[in-house]
Amino acid sequence: MSDTIETLVKSVHRDLQSNRTAKRVMWLYIGSGLTLVGVMILVGLGMRMAQGGMHTFQPGLFYSLMTLHGGAMMVGMALCGMGLLWYLFTLEGPLNPITAVVACALILIGAVLVAISALVGGFGAAWTFLYPLPFVGTYWPSWATGAFLAGIAFVVLGWTVWCLQMLGGVLTRYGGLRGAFAWDLVWSPSKCASSGRTPPPPQAFAVLVAAVDGLLAGSAGMLVGVALFVRWLDPTLPLDPLWVKNLTYIFGHTLANLTIYMPLAAVYVALPRYTHHRYWHTSAVLAVAWWATLVFVAIAYFHHLYMDFAQPRAVQYIGQAASYLAAFPPAVVTIFGGALLVYRSGFRWTLGSMFLYVGMIGWTVGGIGALLDATVAFNIYFHNTLWVVAHFHTYLLEGAMLFVLGWVFHCLEERSGATSSRAVRTLIGVGVFGGGAWLLLGWYLAGAQGVPRRYALQPAPGMEISWWASLGGIVLIVGLVLCGIEAIRLARRPARQEISVA
Amino acid sequence: MRLTPELTIFGIFLMLSAVAICTLVAIAFAAHGPVVAQTAVQSPGYRLRRVWFRGLAIIAVVGFLLSLPAFPYHTRSQPASSQHHPVTALQFAFVVPPVLPLDTPIVLDVTATDVNHGVGIYDPDGRIVAQVQAMPGYTNSLPLALKKPGQYTVLCMEYCGIAHHLMRATFEVR
Repeated sequence: MSDTIETLVKSVHRDLQSNRTAKRVMWLYIGSGLTLVGVMILVGLGMRMAQGGMHTFQPGLFYSLMTLHGGAMMVGMALCGMGLLWYLFTLEGPLNPITAVVACALILIGAVLVAISALVGGFGAAWTFLYPLPFVGTYWPSWATGAFLAGIAFVVLGWTVWCLQMLGGVLTRYGGLRGAFAWDLVWSPSKCASSGRTPPPPQAFAVLVAAVDGLLAGSAGMLVGVALFVRWLDPTLPLDPLWVKNLTYIFGHTLANLTIYMPLAAVYVALPRYTHHRYWHTSAVLAVAWWATLVFVAIAYFHHLYMDFAQPRAVQYIGQAASYLAAFPPAVVTIFGGALLVYRSGFRWTLGSMFLYVGMIGWTVGGIGALLDATVAFNIYFHNTLWVVAHFHTYLLEGAMLFVLGWVFHCLEERSGATSSRAVRTLIGVGVFGGGAWLLLGWYLAGAQGVPRRYALQPAPGMEISWWASLGGIVLIVGLVLCGIEAIRLARRPARQEISVA
Repeated sequence: MRLTPELTIFGIFLMLSAVAICTLVAIAFAAHGPVVAQTAVQSPGYRLRRVWFRGLAIIAVVGFLLSLPAFPYHTRSQPASSQHHPVTALQFAFVVPPVLPLDTPIVLDVTATDVNHGVGIYDPDGRIVAQVQAMPGYTNSLPLALKKPGQYTVLCMEYCGIAHHLMRATFEVR
């Protein structure tokens, strides 16, 4: 009997240690990701204020900061989602923490190289580094281009290591592709039920899609990166700009989309914990929705090339169809499911649950803006105007970032057993949602009037709108600072219990 | 501020967003009502989801079909007699014809000599009426008919370097 108890205690101790290590890995990812995001929000506000005429950035500096802002923001958001998914998966099956730390280190080395390239070398070809721009008519030294490309290679390498680890984990844990995709649940539900095997939880689909689409995006990114690197070494190498553009957008578009889908796992896991005995379970509909996401997110990138008339005509139609179809899983399954989960559930409002729920609203609004832009007939007016900036900032700032903050506060609230007062929630809500909406509205309004994006100095009415929108950006940052103070307050409280399932 | 197609789309965006926000906020407020078991909301919820799915599918299919005639690509329906005018973009200028005909089907054959650019055409009121990318090694043929007389402005719509924001040209339509 005493042997059994001793074994049990040792097992619990091992699980506890393993959970602590997993949490440390998660905080390494989320901490470094949120730090990058926070700094880049300040850089972004600086650029917005310069566009509004509140101060001056020389165009070279503006475009170098723009390059850094875009690249580092993508990396920051991706790191947050990666850490969150990695941790959630360790609750399902084992993952090697050293591999995860190596992946994170590779990505951070890449981010440092990109920062050196932009801040020291003045590299300013935008984070999309559209060939032949990094090599032609440059205002930065050649080494800065090499440092930027090396930085992107490190980021892609770290990302690929993470994707491979997650894919390996999910396939091992759920019985190969058939199990991970919940194939039997969809096509043979009775056989699935009688086998006694439970399908993967909802968050496992986010892991699977991030890993599979992530490997596709990473391969495209690596291919284009190597091609450009060789071009950097040998300027006589001929490259087809349209081929490079397609590859660049498979990489950039897919990665940007995954930064939204990855933290969605926090909604699946944390939102039900604020309800009265409600659960988010895997159904056949949810599985099919994620299959659709896997396919349509990857091929919707064609909408970035609507104005390239040299593209084969068929892919322009596919681009619009895929963009529309990609909206179905979130609209019909995830956001609808989230709303159904909350409805009449005795929902407990805290800072964590508020961020998670409002994140779904931000995702919806950004999605509406994106769908209008993905309609070719409207894209004629909106392509590469500030409308594009508006919709992707909506679902990054008021969607994905809120999912991450929601998860952070969920963890802090679970750990401390404390929540924020109503007054603090209101203040933060006004700052983050109100300031954010004000900032975003400026981009939508300017975009609707044809103001082009990526302009250091904007034509009318861009400057006037940017001035007003910058005030919203300041309010947003005040809200985020309050959020940071509240997070520190909760983190400094003693832990409620040793073992937390969060 | 005149009501242009772009501002109309902006209005549609605001309206759809308002509906989505109000619905989700109303559900959030309903969370405080009497607590109902999950099984009790699932059945009517799934029925509503089927209706929602079908409604969205109809909107998507109808929207897709309605948008097809507005696709801007050079089609066979364009008169064969349309005049072709070359447009070249380079860091940091456009080479455009000084004069283009009013209300006549024309085709702009757009290319670039160095990096990717975008050709955004703004009418005399400052409204964007057409755009196309300019890519080295490719010619993008943009069919259009310019409906208003006066001076049009061309702005660069693809980031192309340090003077991207200064890259502009004008042409006359008469």
